[in-house]
Amino acid sequence: MKRRQIWIFALMVILAVVMLYPFLFMINTSFKSNVQFLGASGHSMLSWHKLFNALPVGRELINSTVVCAGSIFIILIVSTMAGYSLSKLRSRASWIFFIGIVGAMLIPLQSIIIPAYINASHWNLLSGYWGAIFLYAALGTPFASFLMTSYFRGLPDELIEAAICDGLSYRRIFSKIALPLAVPAIVTVIVLQFIQIWDDLLVGLLFIQDPNYRTITVGLGALSAGRTTDIPVLMAGSLLSAIPAVAVYLIFQRQLVNGLTAGIGK
Amino acid sequence: MKVTRRDLGRQRRRVGVIFILPALALVSAFLGIPIIQAGYYSLTQWDGLTAVWTGISTYTHELHNPIFWRVLENNGLLLIGIPVAMILPMGIAFLLNEKVPGWKVFRTIYFLPTAISWVVIGMVALRFFAQEGLLNGLLRGFGLGFIHTDLLSSEKGALFAVSLTFIWSMVGTNTIIFLTGMATLDNSLNEAARMDGASNFRIFRSITLPQLQRFIQFSFIITIISAFTALFSLIFVMTGGGPGFGTTTLEFFIYQSAFARGDFGTGAMLGVILFLIMAVLGIGQLAIMRNKD
Repeated sequence: MKRRQIWIFALMVILAVVMLYPFLFMINTSFKSNVQFLGASGHSMLSWHKLFNALPVGRELINSTVVCAGSIFIILIVSTMAGYSLSKLRSRASWIFFIGIVGAMLIPLQSIIIPAYINASHWNLLSGYWGAIFLYAALGTPFASFLMTSYFRGLPDELIEAAICDGLSYRRIFSKIALPLAVPAIVTVIVLQFIQIWDDLLVGLLFIQDPNYRTITVGLGALSAGRTTDIPVLMAGSLLSAIPAVAVYLIFQRQLVNGLTAGIGK
Repeated sequence: MKVTRRDLGRQRRRVGVIFILPALALVSAFLGIPIIQAGYYSLTQWDGLTAVWTGISTYTHELHNPIFWRVLENNGLLLIGIPVAMILPMGIAFLLNEKVPGWKVFRTIYFLPTAISWVVIGMVALRFFAQEGLLNGLLRGFGLGFIHTDLLSSEKGALFAVSLTFIWSMVGTNTIIFLTGMATLDNSLNEAARMDGASNFRIFRSITLPQLQRFIQFSFIITIISAFTALFSLIFVMTGGGPGFGTTTLEFFIYQSAFARGDFGTGAMLGVILFLIMAVLGIGQLAIMRNKD
């Protein structure tokens, strides 16, 4: 048994190197100058200096944060309300709403992106952050509503009835009782959406037209499409862009896994 | 003032409708209405400003376009990677499930790529497959230097490189799904079967796999959805759809048609086709699950 464990351990170490390779490559390359990358020996901070001096990465990090925060804020408001309504305030029409909202999960982004883009340009949403914020919010809402609905379903009806007897209205029950109890589900939604939106390219590429509002991922994508030859700077940028999402992942791993496997059901 | 049960019911329904409205409005405005528009515009010639009705001929016309079939073929070839993207993680999940010291750290490491953008993955992959990249370095290291690869410069090679990268990125997600599944396994069944003299393989096939069925299905759905709709950024960064149309998949073709060529009508139509493919897959999946239950 001991021997078997050693073999498994060795195999897992090799796998770990394969999975960590992008990080190792980014770290190693970003601490080289372009000359060093192309063959000369040694490491330097040159590429990191270049990254911060030549490219608007600081601004792009702020933009990413604003877009993520805005979209997630909207997602949380509409999905907690929808989940509460679909689980605790049911009427005969509820199932239609449920299918309408949660069923939208089946629509691929690429199928709606052209009309959504034209609409957003008619509504003047493409000049600042709003076009991207709204589309990300709409894309995140179906799954978040699904998650919230199943979460609120777990709250006992007696709790609501008791609160009604105490004279609370359905709205007050939502803000005073349901919302505070939903914090674990809310954290899951935040973590899932943060990583998704932070990492996205397509929506940001099309729905943010002013380069001053670009997110870091879009900035990188645009840079790589320009076929930059300064690879160490590109790798420093990649690493920088990955750090926030990786940090969130490391802190909230459990919530992320919960969210991911929520679709399997019981 | 006395609140009757009927008043309460009415209040509940009214608040229920009010609470659903924001989500409904958001989803309708940015997903619901656009998918209907896509259906309409797919039957027109549309440059984003004026649409001229051309009817079903846009579809029949596209069916005679060899590039369209080439693009679908690329999607088909990517699907070949799906079994690998599932079997490999299942093996890894089994290894993790042995719970050797430090397995939680390994679990965290394997799942890590889930947190990084396809853009970043694509950029690193680009250097990995490059002529002077690590792949050729490894081949040399193993004494296979005579196989000098330049995958990204040929159509089939580039697609192969994209699909390898895709498989690599799915490892984390699928491993976690299977690991979650393995936590639900009932080990007493294995013991009982072993008592009856069943071989390891037999136990795996007849006891473990059936118990994991739900998780296998879920992983399959996630993987196939990713193969069809999540690779835009990867392709954008790694190959730009080329060389030629070598790595242009349907989702990338939509983007190219509309935003590179300004042919919004064709883009909308391709979007509808993608939607239909995903819908058929979804319904098929549901039907299979219904039958099994």
